[in-house]
Amino acid sequence: MIEGIRRIQEMMEREQYVTDRGIATTAYLAMELKKPVLIEGQAGVGKTEIAKVLSSALGTELIRLQCYEGLDVNTALYEWNYPKQMLRIKMDEGSRRGIDAQEQAIFSDAFLLKRPLLQAISGQEQAPVLLIDEVDRADEEFEAFLLEVLSDFQVTIPELGTIRAQHRPYVVLTSNRTRELSDALKRRCLYLWIDFPTFDKEVRIITTKVPGINERLAHQIAMFMQAIRHVKLNKTPGVAETLDWAMSMMALHQDHLEQDAVRETLGAFIKDRDDVAKLRGQPLEVLISSMNGQEEEDVSAWVQSVTQRLEKELSTR
Amino acid sequence: MGSVGDAAPRERALYALKSRARHADLQRHVVAFGRELRAREMLVTSTEIMDGLRTLGRVDLGDRHDVYLGLQSVFVSRTEDVPIFDEVFDRFWRRIARVEEEEPGEQDPGSEGAEEGAAQPSGEGKEQLRLTDPDSEGDEGEGEGDEEALPLYSPVEMLAGKDFSRFQAEEMAEVARAVLVIAKRLATRESRRTRAASRSHLIDPRRTVRRNMKYGGTIIELARKQRKIRKPRLVLICDVSRSMDTYSRFLLQFIHALQNTIGKVESFVFSTSLTRVTDYFKGEEITEALDRIAREVRDWSGGTRIGQSLETFNSEWARKLVDRRTIVLILSDGLDTGDAEVLRGAMEELDSRAGKVIWLNPLLGSKDYRPLARGMSTALEHVDVFAPAHNLASLAELGRHLAT
Repeated sequence: MIEGIRRIQEMMEREQYVTDRGIATTAYLAMELKKPVLIEGQAGVGKTEIAKVLSSALGTELIRLQCYEGLDVNTALYEWNYPKQMLRIKMDEGSRRGIDAQEQAIFSDAFLLKRPLLQAISGQEQAPVLLIDEVDRADEEFEAFLLEVLSDFQVTIPELGTIRAQHRPYVVLTSNRTRELSDALKRRCLYLWIDFPTFDKEVRIITTKVPGINERLAHQIAMFMQAIRHVKLNKTPGVAETLDWAMSMMALHQDHLEQDAVRETLGAFIKDRDDVAKLRGQPLEVLISSMNGQEEEDVSAWVQSVTQRLEKELSTR
Repeated sequence: MGSVGDAAPRERALYALKSRARHADLQRHVVAFGRELRAREMLVTSTEIMDGLRTLGRVDLGDRHDVYLGLQSVFVSRTEDVPIFDEVFDRFWRRIARVEEEEPGEQDPGSEGAEEGAAQPSGEGKEQLRLTDPDSEGDEGEGEGDEEALPLYSPVEMLAGKDFSRFQAEEMAEVARAVLVIAKRLATRESRRTRAASRSHLIDPRRTVRRNMKYGGTIIELARKQRKIRKPRLVLICDVSRSMDTYSRFLLQFIHALQNTIGKVESFVFSTSLTRVTDYFKGEEITEALDRIAREVRDWSGGTRIGQSLETFNSEWARKLVDRRTIVLILSDGLDTGDAEVLRGAMEELDSRAGKVIWLNPLLGSKDYRPLARGMSTALEHVDVFAPAHNLASLAELGRHLAT
């Protein structure tokens, strides 16, 4: 591994983000090749987190653009501050200023509301991190517009002229894959797929993010999550759920998993009514009873055997 | 440039020459690598290849994992392609490892390459050949070979030149009219985006301020805007199995008309497997289109495997074509001979992606039909609208459902 990649990995770990080489390599290349990164993965695997960590690791500003259906250029780029413009016009009523001068005054920087994309481009000090979150939710026309901005890092405002980025922002796009993004956008970006964490990584995440948790509980929770993600659920719990759950267990002063405690805290990580109904009772019992005394064993073998038993349990219903 | 005996410049020149050659070699390998990925249908263009080269200049070439991760983030653009990438990368690494070996002082990546080779002994001979000439067109030849190796369809499924030519003109015109009604419905959904308009109840502050500058800023004229019309996308999946024979021609006509009225329509037909037919209908005469489909769609009037066909659609097309604005229209009688569980799973996935799933069933027209066919009843729970499609009247009725 070369120095640059290791440095980024260390930087991210310092920000309490448990990373791996794949993530660090892509982040490194994004900076070196000056390309945006497109991050895809299931909900709750920490896609958005990467941008946040990057910005605090680099000590730079994080600018976030949350995408949604119908998001348009006015919301993403800039808008004129109309109330302020009108007030100014009123105040100037007595003066003899010509229309041209007045127009120039109210269509100036002071009346401009900068939305995320313009903010990211017009930063003066240093390159910010621009997070374009859930880009798959925006519609295709917006994607095309985004593509334009991402290739030139400049925008034109009719009243003001062209604004070019002095510092090219680090761009992170995330997608939950509700639709396929255009090939053109994909080609503009480096690609990173983030999977649910492996057992070891998840244990590290828990112990990093939930300080004071005992090792046994962290192991058990991670094992439980590994197994539960093999069950077909409407909403598979992600890392955020793991952490919520670990904190709930801590708050209840539990130091290991047992039936009652799991049942009581189920809502921390299973957030779908059908899923709760599906797991409640026998399946949970199967999972937890098979876990005791297994902490030191081969986790993947355990996951495999317990998933089989769970499947059998669920199919007999 | 120096006196005799001054070896340094010459060595330097030699080194430069060597490293340039090495670079050229690398370049060749990366180009071949990209080409191979493209041959496997991955999204690779010259941009990726350039980025690939730039990446290799920035990672440790002796470290397989570094090179692998770096190139992966450049060349892969969807996670489904990772297995293909892995496979092709394996070969690439062996090539590049060879280039590296000639460099003195490098660690010995060749051993790793050999290890990789051992894991896949069958491919070894071919690799060597490829190594000597990565630019040869061997890849394509091989691709053709693969295709030939694919199992052919059984003769029963093959279409024996069906005659679609006996269409009646009035019938066509009527279908076109029904489709127009439907198209109109489809074309009138409002978006959250707006555009300028002269009469509307929404005021556009931006243009209002602009326009009233000429009155010294007193607002006299209001500029208005209205919501843009948003056209949803439509995906048609039409059953052309034997049990649908009486209807499929009629329904294809419907597809043709729809596709030529509304912009974004994608169409597919299936009986035992799925075929995309969007292009067949583009701008062509309906009879020509039908002829071509009859000629080229292999399993016309075969059995029905709705489940598998929809599964194929989900895995190969859905992500590209279906989002929450998409209406998926399935035209089938639901008489499935395949696994009901597969159908249920496929419908569930489709339902979760699409804005609306509409199932049109020609058999629904007959009074004593109840959706008891096993496939149909499992699929129904993931269908938003279940409606008949046996005649023009029922198609016209469809327009009502399409306006969400």
